Amino acid sequence: MKHKIRKIFRSPLFLVGFGIFMLMLLMVLIYPLINPGNPLQSIGLGNFARPGTYVSLYDSVGSQRSVLRLPEADSKRVASLLGQEDRVKMAYWLDVTGKDIEGLNINDTEALLSAWKTHYDGKERPAGMTKADRNFYERLNKRLVAASNAPALSLSETDPASGETVEKGSIGKDDYVNISAVANVKTLPLGTDNFGRDVLKELVSAAGTSLVIGLIAGTVATLIGLWLGLLAGYLGGWVDDVIMFFTNIFTVIPGFVLLILISYSIGQDQRGATTVAVVIGLTSWVWTARSVRSQVISLRNRDHVNLSKLSGHSVLRIIWRDILPYILSYVIMAFILQVSSGILAEAQLSLLGLGPKTTEVPTLGLMMNWAMLYSAHLNGSWWAYFPVIMVIALISFSLNLMNTGLDQVFNPQLRS
Amino acid sequence: MRHWYRTLLGLMLALALVMGLGAGAAEVVQLPREETLYFGGQQWGTVATWNPVGTNQNNAMATTSNGWGARTVMFETLYMYNFLDGAMLPLLADGDPVVSEDLITTTVKIKPVAKWSDDTQVTAHDFEATWNIGIEINNGTATNYGGYIDKVVAEDDLTVVITAKVDADGQPVNPLKVKDYLIGAFVAQKAWLETLKERNNNDATAILNDAAEDVPFTGPYGKFFSDDQKVLFVRNDNYWGQDESMWGKLPVPKYIGHNIFADNSAMEVAFKAGEIDVNQQFLPNIQKLWEDEGLPISTYMQDAPYGICLTMPTAWYNMNNPLLKEHTALRKAIAMAVDYDAIIENAMTNQSPSFKDVPRSLMNPTVGEQAMYDKDAVKDLQWAGVDYDGANKLLDEAGIVDSDGDGWRDIDGVKLSFNAVCPNGWTDWMAAMEMVAAAGEKIKIEITTLFPEWSTYQTIFTNPNQKDYDIFMWSPESAAPSMPWGRVRQYLGADLVGAENNWTGNWGQYLNEEADAIIKQIPMTTDEAKLKEMYTELVRIYLTEVPSFALMYRPATFHAVNESVWTNFPEDGDGLNIPPAVCTDGYGIAALYNLKLVGE
Repeated sequence: MKHKIRKIFRSPLFLVGFGIFMLMLLMVLIYPLINPGNPLQSIGLGNFARPGTYVSLYDSVGSQRSVLRLPEADSKRVASLLGQEDRVKMAYWLDVTGKDIEGLNINDTEALLSAWKTHYDGKERPAGMTKADRNFYERLNKRLVAASNAPALSLSETDPASGETVEKGSIGKDDYVNISAVANVKTLPLGTDNFGRDVLKELVSAAGTSLVIGLIAGTVATLIGLWLGLLAGYLGGWVDDVIMFFTNIFTVIPGFVLLILISYSIGQDQRGATTVAVVIGLTSWVWTARSVRSQVISLRNRDHVNLSKLSGHSVLRIIWRDILPYILSYVIMAFILQVSSGILAEAQLSLLGLGPKTTEVPTLGLMMNWAMLYSAHLNGSWWAYFPVIMVIALISFSLNLMNTGLDQVFNPQLRS
Repeated sequence: MRHWYRTLLGLMLALALVMGLGAGAAEVVQLPREETLYFGGQQWGTVATWNPVGTNQNNAMATTSNGWGARTVMFETLYMYNFLDGAMLPLLADGDPVVSEDLITTTVKIKPVAKWSDDTQVTAHDFEATWNIGIEINNGTATNYGGYIDKVVAEDDLTVVITAKVDADGQPVNPLKVKDYLIGAFVAQKAWLETLKERNNNDATAILNDAAEDVPFTGPYGKFFSDDQKVLFVRNDNYWGQDESMWGKLPVPKYIGHNIFADNSAMEVAFKAGEIDVNQQFLPNIQKLWEDEGLPISTYMQDAPYGICLTMPTAWYNMNNPLLKEHTALRKAIAMAVDYDAIIENAMTNQSPSFKDVPRSLMNPTVGEQAMYDKDAVKDLQWAGVDYDGANKLLDEAGIVDSDGDGWRDIDGVKLSFNAVCPNGWTDWMAAMEMVAAAGEKIKIEITTLFPEWSTYQTIFTNPNQKDYDIFMWSPESAAPSMPWGRVRQYLGADLVGAENNWTGNWGQYLNEEADAIIKQIPMTTDEAKLKEMYTELVRIYLTEVPSFALMYRPATFHAVNESVWTNFPEDGDGLNIPPAVCTDGYGIAALYNLKLVGE
């Protein structure tokens, strides 16, 4: 046994798969300790906030200031306000509406802005310009008007008692705050989803749920498949016929269709994560049963089994002591694949809206379902679905690698 | 030898397959893009029939009749409704309707130039025949208006007289509903209706389901092509409406079409690619399409809420649940705790004004309806949400507390646990229900969401005795000449309680005699000041009793356009007063006469 285990851990394929899997498991266990709280809590208003670090504007105003005189500050400010394309488009508008722009250099920011401010009128409808074009200029104009070129912005506060506005100070162009001095800074490595939830926190929790679903589904499927396979293979005769009759029926009906029908008929209020896992297990035992049966058939006439029979051992004891150990490695490999396909099945079901009910726990499939419902894949909010896909891919990749590694150790045909 | 034979056979099979595909592709109708206006978000599945007096036509572009205006692309109505200002503009009618002093008869003249597509004249007899066949076969028109209209009679060739039903006191049952008929009922040709009856041996079911491929129509477009991929209409260049007394010209696009998409995502992709010009589809974060992606897409208004909101999707409390029925404090507390800003920002992605801008009442957010009640009188009753302290206090004061310490409040030992339900796949509603559930947690009331399939949902929420759904969503009607009266009745009308297969209103089965008495008086009241007083009183009752609560405001139709091919769609502030009704509904069809090609 020790020898076998040592051999398994010498298989590079198994090691890589095991490593990835353990990493995910550690993440699932440790991350909630670092970042505790309900993963389903909405923190953001609005859909799909971009990944990044968010600094409280309110708090930074009151924080300790430092003055930094950075040479590129002004040009950066202008560039973020007015791209090259915007300049060309501004000139186009001035031109198409017949404004006098002789000698205007579009790279001369000041001249361009002043020409724009004197001439632009949102009510004008230049010929051949669509509403979308006009809207573009309106947005651009709004941005330009909102941006200030004043040397300092003044801060004021409204006195709640008198309703008077009192000036409290000002912010200059060279004023900076150290980010560590700001009380509220929130890093959202994967942004937020359509409910304004922290995607990373949700993802970690969902990966945990999905692993549990996979384990339950895998266990249920393997147990059923194993026992039916053992009984059918060892006993043979009419028992085999009956079991194979049902197995064949289940083989003919596509498992996923069966899964959809059962999930649908259970109804959503009954569908917890565990129920879904059990249902997945109940529909995916078929091929385990078939292959265990064929393995057992090849074993049942071996000498040691016959000896056991002659010694008068009970059927259960023979199965348990003389047959099961010989196919155990095979069953473990099958189990690993079942876990992997259980996770995938949950994701598929949830994507169809037939997964666990939504308010209690996040699952990988549900995250993808909501991302899809809110068109994340169409409006470029990759952080709402791509990390989820990656996690699903990594989990099933690691499990499959482990399976292949085991196969190389145990399968006599592949043994080197 | 045999090998060679097999290869040849394989090749021939492959060739046949490719040829077959090619032949199939050649059959697809291709229309010149710059003469075709494509719609999206209307037609799902293959068109069933073209029958204006039938049922289940599944023919969105030809036979849809909404409260805010019937779709007059193919069949026409007497008047066109403009939900921007509530005006009724004559279409087949000539001039305004004349209503008698006692509000019982309404007389409408028909335009003498109005013609059918077979070049015969539209007469008052057509209206009479259309009404009569509707009553005989009990079609949609009969169910919608049969309770309010006694008869439609042709006085002469060009004069239609509509007589309202009268109640026991000799008063018309509801004159407002007659107005709805004027903008909502299509007309079919009398001669054709006779053929229709004859070929179906007067059998009502057969008539309702007749495919009506041969139907004459009065509208500017008729059937061109239809299969499971698309439906196309072609302009009738002899359309009567090009007469100076109507539009004075033909609508601009020669064809209008609607491809049939598998789902919302497919349609969104097509819209972004410019394959759809006018789209009636809820697109989350629509502003990203132009702000981030720079696509030539726009909406009626450039900024949130992007469109005209006419209705308010509402969460209804089921009064068949005794806990909800008996405890007003409970109903109000849940409503007070809900985070409406989050619903509007996250679920509606800002395509709704907030309840701070337009405080809750029974009115939709249009200026006209908002002016119909006294805001100051009910100011103290209007809540804006996220008031956990207020909600908790209200519950504590009402004695609804957590007496067994399990973390949830209870009443007489029964833990407060409700479900919040809406159909599966209705994205913004599902998200809203999730947030109602989240609010419940804050005030220690367990609320879980439930998203059944539409086919199940529709049979349960319309059942007056259902006990399956505690808090469930449905929208009241949006705009119509009979609004806001119709909507108020939907919220509070006692006559709707217990109605079987109820698609009309009061889905929560709420009963209030006082409110009902006022609702009954409104249709007969014409004095503006008195009306305002009555509506204010109804709003007061509604906000005190909280039989339901609106979750957001919502457009009746979404209206987004892609200006890759066509431009000059209606826009806010263009002075044309054409409503953003996807260029087809009610007076919205006027948009089709103003379109221009991009770059023209």
